[in-house]
Amino acid sequence: MRELQYGWPPAGNGHRVVDFPKLMNPFFAWLEQTGLSVWVRESPSLWAFPTVLIFHAVGMGFLAGANVAIDLRLLGVAARLQLAPMERFFPVLWFGLWVNVVSGVLLLIAYPTKALTNPVFYVKLSCIALALVVLRQIRIQVFRDPALDRQPLPRRSKMLAATSILLWAGAITAGRLLAYTYTRLMVNE
Amino acid sequence: MNLDLEPLRIWLHSTGISWIMTHTKWAWAASETLHFMGLTLLIGTVGLFDLRLLGLAKGVSPAALHRLIPWGIGGFIVNVLTGFCFLAGTPDQYLYNNAFRLKVVFLFLAGINVLVFYSAVFRRVRILGPGANTPLAAKIIACTSLALWIGVISCGRMLTFFRPLPGTHH
Repeated sequence: MRELQYGWPPAGNGHRVVDFPKLMNPFFAWLEQTGLSVWVRESPSLWAFPTVLIFHAVGMGFLAGANVAIDLRLLGVAARLQLAPMERFFPVLWFGLWVNVVSGVLLLIAYPTKALTNPVFYVKLSCIALALVVLRQIRIQVFRDPALDRQPLPRRSKMLAATSILLWAGAITAGRLLAYTYTRLMVNE
Repeated sequence: MNLDLEPLRIWLHSTGISWIMTHTKWAWAASETLHFMGLTLLIGTVGLFDLRLLGLAKGVSPAALHRLIPWGIGGFIVNVLTGFCFLAGTPDQYLYNNAFRLKVVFLFLAGINVLVFYSAVFRRVRILGPGANTPLAAKIIACTSLALWIGVISCGRMLTFFRPLPGTHH
């Protein structure tokens, strides 16, 4: 009986199976033994892995939190709150985003195999990418609208806000599930 | 001070929630996910309000922005409930964990900070419109609030690195 093949392109007549995760193994092996990866992963210092995790959680609070706060306003919460001056809160979001890009890349460098061989990791990244696209649309369609704060928000804005909340909830859920769904911790395990 | 936590630990361990948290595959992961969503709601509303009190986005009316706070309180309630689930699930991992103890201290101080804000400063803040500067007392309380909530999150993330070894706390 043929073994079930995992890889791309799919096994078929005349196709050689290329096992994508296996193809990445030399890269994972190299990355996992770089000084930065070893330090973040194995240093007993609280300034290594634990501090990176803290930054990632606080950054999440400011990025997703501020975004959801704006979404709630678009959905009709705090209706008397003027939207135009809320744009000044966007730097808080960018701050959270950059904190999480840097801390996220450090976590990825520490455990590349664990993240990149887990489909849930790609779900998380897709949710974040889509949430940022929706945020861009909110800036363009809502905050750049000359009628902002003078007319009721169009239905479309509310759809964007609801989508944004769902995508951030998805990103948080996928992120949390990473700890439960990985199949390989490091390249040689 | 040597407070005997054993009766509390034994009671927590005997609850039905404790059994669900440790004998199902989904309960812990689901509670963690809700805990992170609650954190996000709290920081997104209370954090923005604190930043406005500190002078960011002055065009925003503090009173109007305050209408978002109930969602932050909702997030906090979710976190108290899910937090209790973790505590009941493996009480020895929290009661004898210094990161958890510091987290409780920060939560207690954050609670006092909230009481001081609503009893002494909110009267003067709720009448402020767009563009208004906030009193110094409000700025101090806002800064304290941000520091304490970031401290609470930090201690929460540190919990796993301060786990007591089984049997070392007696």
